[in-house]
Amino acid sequence: MIALLQAEWFKLRKSKMVPIILAGPMIGLFIGLSANLEDNMQGIEINEWYISLFSMNLTYALLFLPLISGVFTSIICRYEHQSGGWKQLLALPVTRGKVFVAKYILIMLLVLAMQILYLGSIFAVGIVKGYTDSFPMEIVWKSIVGGWVATLPLVALQLWLSIMFKSFAAPFAVNVIFTLPSILAVNSERIGPYYPWAQPFSMMYIGGNTDDVFFVPWEQVLTVVGGGFILFFLGGYYYFQRKSI
Amino acid sequence: MGKLLTADFLKIKRKGLWLLTLIGPFGVVALQMVNYGVRKDYLLQQSEDDWGYYLLNVHSFTPLAIVLGIAILTSFIASIENETNAWKQLIALPVSKLTVYLSKFTLLAILLFFSSTLLMFFTMGYGLFLELGDTVPYMELAKYSYFPAFAALPILALQLWIASVSHNQGIPITVGIFGVIFAYSSYLLPDWMIWKWPSLMNQWNQPMINVLLGVGIGFLLYIIGMIDFARRDVK
Repeated sequence: MIALLQAEWFKLRKSKMVPIILAGPMIGLFIGLSANLEDNMQGIEINEWYISLFSMNLTYALLFLPLISGVFTSIICRYEHQSGGWKQLLALPVTRGKVFVAKYILIMLLVLAMQILYLGSIFAVGIVKGYTDSFPMEIVWKSIVGGWVATLPLVALQLWLSIMFKSFAAPFAVNVIFTLPSILAVNSERIGPYYPWAQPFSMMYIGGNTDDVFFVPWEQVLTVVGGGFILFFLGGYYYFQRKSI
Repeated sequence: MGKLLTADFLKIKRKGLWLLTLIGPFGVVALQMVNYGVRKDYLLQQSEDDWGYYLLNVHSFTPLAIVLGIAILTSFIASIENETNAWKQLIALPVSKLTVYLSKFTLLAILLFFSSTLLMFFTMGYGLFLELGDTVPYMELAKYSYFPAFAALPILALQLWIASVSHNQGIPITVGIFGVIFAYSSYLLPDWMIWKWPSLMNQWNQPMINVLLGVGIGFLLYIIGMIDFARRDVK
């Protein structure tokens, strides 16, 4: 398993992955520095760090995170789709299940790395804007880790689709079709909590009931994120077992 | 040129590209179906001009769908050639590389405007279904359907350029994601950013400026992309 992860990592290093991971903090910096909510929020008692985080999280979690996770899954399958790579990889003494799990683990690590870089961009925005309030440590846990957990089912589905389709555009199109409606879904109290593509936003959102581990109730994390993860992961896993290469 | 275009149309058969050009405008209107279906009374109270408000609601998603749709279609068209190393075979034919590029661009522009036409009919159809008033603002309807497509021509030229010279299609897709982030936060952007133009916003409040800029800069970016494509070696 470790060897398989290493092999995937070597392939990944040659796939122009680093600039794409840096896209996350770049988007964060761009929105954080160009948005100006401070004037609207004058007089409201709130930790300064939250102000720019509102607009940063909105765009980052609503659109960027679900979309970019699909790019990662396509890139990780790119070498295999080119000139019979699947055959070469599966001719090695590895099981298909392990290949699937290794690819999945590596993508989740990449998303985690991007989330940490995004945290760095939150910090950078605060320094540039000269915030003096103490840094709210709970956003590290709730926003960064919460957003990461929320991508678990999305990455599973995208990996399934990326294995299925040769081209980048097809899985991305499916991703877009599901991601864009979340702009409306997060406004609805009825649909929002049940829509898997709206979960990164809900879980990274700051405010609400802060007694829980995340910003959304446990039941929602377990049913929507956990349920979606099991469904998509098993779907992809069994699809890959039966796929003819 | 005519034969190349016919060949390009044949290549996209049964690949789902026509389906995507249908899903794009349908999705934009379908989101308003959900929006108006859930809270129609509230939305009708928001404005005296029900048609105008409805068009604005539809238009809030049009730029996002156009930017992402362009990224998907351009990458699709490039990967049709990439997957089977067909660029080589295509260039080996007695056609100039400039015409090959022009044919791809024309194909994409046709798909884009087909999509806009569908958007106009879907918007009108659901608007009539909602009974928003007797006078249908046909001019506004056409404006909100076609203007964003004209204003998005520079994005189309840029994405086609990147997609046709990249071997790794992750790059044009990532550029497309940046594009949609810019389009989503277009109220923050300065007027010179091309991703702001499909939103039809500018400091003079004249959507026509975005259309003219779109056609002009789109042509310029197209020429730059075409020259760069022609100079590169086909691997």
